[in-house]
Amino acid sequence: MQLRINQKAYEVDADADTPLLWVIRDDLGLTGTKYGCGLAQCGACSVLVDGNVVRSCVTPVAGVVGREITTIEAIEADDVGKRVVAAWVEHQVAQCGYCQSGQVMAATALLKHTPAPSDAQIEAAMVNLCRCGTYNAIRTAVHDLAKERV
Amino acid sequence: MNNRRFARTAGWLVLAGAVAAGVLAWYVTRQPASPFEQQPAAKADPALVSRGEYVARVSDCVACHSLPGKTPFAGGLEMATPLGAIHATNITPDRNTGIGAYTAADFDRAVRHGVAPGGRRLYPAMPYPSYAKLSDDDMRALYAFFMQGVEPANQPNIESSIPWPLNMRWPIALWNGVFAPNATYAAKPAQDALWNRGAYIVQGPGHCGSCHTPRGLAFNERALDESGAPYLAGALLDGWYAPSLRQDHNTGLGRWSEDEIVRFLKTGRNQHAVVYGSMTEAFNNSTQFMSDEDLNAIARYLKSLPGDPQRDGSPWQYQAATARADTPGAHTYATRCASCHGLDGKGQPEWMPPLAGATSALAKENASAINITLNGSQRIVTAGVPDAYRMPAFREQLSDAEIAQVLTYVRGTWGNNGGAVDAAAVNTLRGHTDPASSSPIILHMR
Repeated sequence: MQLRINQKAYEVDADADTPLLWVIRDDLGLTGTKYGCGLAQCGACSVLVDGNVVRSCVTPVAGVVGREITTIEAIEADDVGKRVVAAWVEHQVAQCGYCQSGQVMAATALLKHTPAPSDAQIEAAMVNLCRCGTYNAIRTAVHDLAKERV
Repeated sequence: MNNRRFARTAGWLVLAGAVAAGVLAWYVTRQPASPFEQQPAAKADPALVSRGEYVARVSDCVACHSLPGKTPFAGGLEMATPLGAIHATNITPDRNTGIGAYTAADFDRAVRHGVAPGGRRLYPAMPYPSYAKLSDDDMRALYAFFMQGVEPANQPNIESSIPWPLNMRWPIALWNGVFAPNATYAAKPAQDALWNRGAYIVQGPGHCGSCHTPRGLAFNERALDESGAPYLAGALLDGWYAPSLRQDHNTGLGRWSEDEIVRFLKTGRNQHAVVYGSMTEAFNNSTQFMSDEDLNAIARYLKSLPGDPQRDGSPWQYQAATARADTPGAHTYATRCASCHGLDGKGQPEWMPPLAGATSALAKENASAINITLNGSQRIVTAGVPDAYRMPAFREQLSDAEIAQVLTYVRGTWGNNGGAVDAAAVNTLRGHTDPASSSPIILHMR
């Protein structure tokens, strides 16, 4: 089957029910997307599919054929994604960094749909887990990004 | 004069009482007749043994007579009844602790009539009211398999913890007299061979009614075949709601084609649903091993059972969620559930089931919805390969109130109308399904 990832076409040989995450990491070597829990609970594996954030560990690859997939490797090619990464750097959000690619994807998806989200919308969208507890830094960064567009 | 009449009446009464007691004693300990009585023991050929293995698969003997990861058929599964715990027995051909000394007639009486050698009655946790319908040919094959196809295991049976006098078995004979049939399946000439094969499997070895047919006050299945309206009409058991297998549009198989039924039983999933709850065991151990022909037969039979619009309610139709959902339940759904089941509730068939139109979201009984959310699903193993996607347990992550809110949202969105869930119901099931609690769920007869 053929996948479109980061504006590039990939020919993939995988079972229909293989998780998208396995294909991205193991078959295509795009290892910026991380495996966390494997149960759609933590969000470390978040990628964008047609601009919506999905958890690739529970996404059967057959379901995303013909759709536009974006991973952390190409997030700075997106205007919103580029601003998010800049804010992350400015606020020095990352600690160990393992969950941060997923956090950046979640923030990017939020700001693409809702350029100036309310506090409640930010709370509702930024639900990925972080073992280091960087939540305060994440919140500050996203609030900054939200304010830029008010 | 009066005294003499009194003495004579009393004498007659004593005599009548003694006769009645004698008849009763005979009745409750008698050995039912078996067509295998006069048959000499002979070594069965391998084809019969392998046929017997198939019958054992279809009958799902292993589900109760084995513990996970232990010797097959050596027994040990604990079933807590309201009176105390009982344990499935060793049915390997070990002569001391198993059934190695059983003759074909002994075996027949145990499986089809619930009577062990010596006249002791089995508890109807053993589904002999269903197995009564097994054909003589299948019984012969089953016996050959258990005698020659199963490794003997020396594992003593565990005594039940039911106290005297409640542990007396003879009253079960009276229960049997009222509720357990004693005839094998008789083909309905008006129906074709496929339908009859399906009816035979569903009613007999498959014992689908053990879970899917509602039970009466005496724990009896309220119908044992299609002649009764409650047959396979859905029942609550062991903290799960086994849905209707009749043509009910919402809570049954009304929207499933025969092919989709076959697919579900063969692969554990189809576009409507994925096996979960107690059905996972039935799938892992039994239905996936059935031949395509038998699965087609089951589907044909089930599709012939009419639904009941009165019980089922108005037919479900998908409705897109209209109002912007900003309730706590909708929020929990978006963050915890939508990754797999979709914001639109349509899931990712066939891997993640839709919740829009799901039986668990349309049935008034909400036990399955609560149970799967608290405890997640069991591992589904298809052809030796474990599933890639599994419902996680939210027991530790969501409170009773949060689960109640999210299920109320699921059961009231996309056209679903199962009704709200309250936190108390979640709390009750949380307690009953906590393995560490003092009141774990009571396993009924299956």
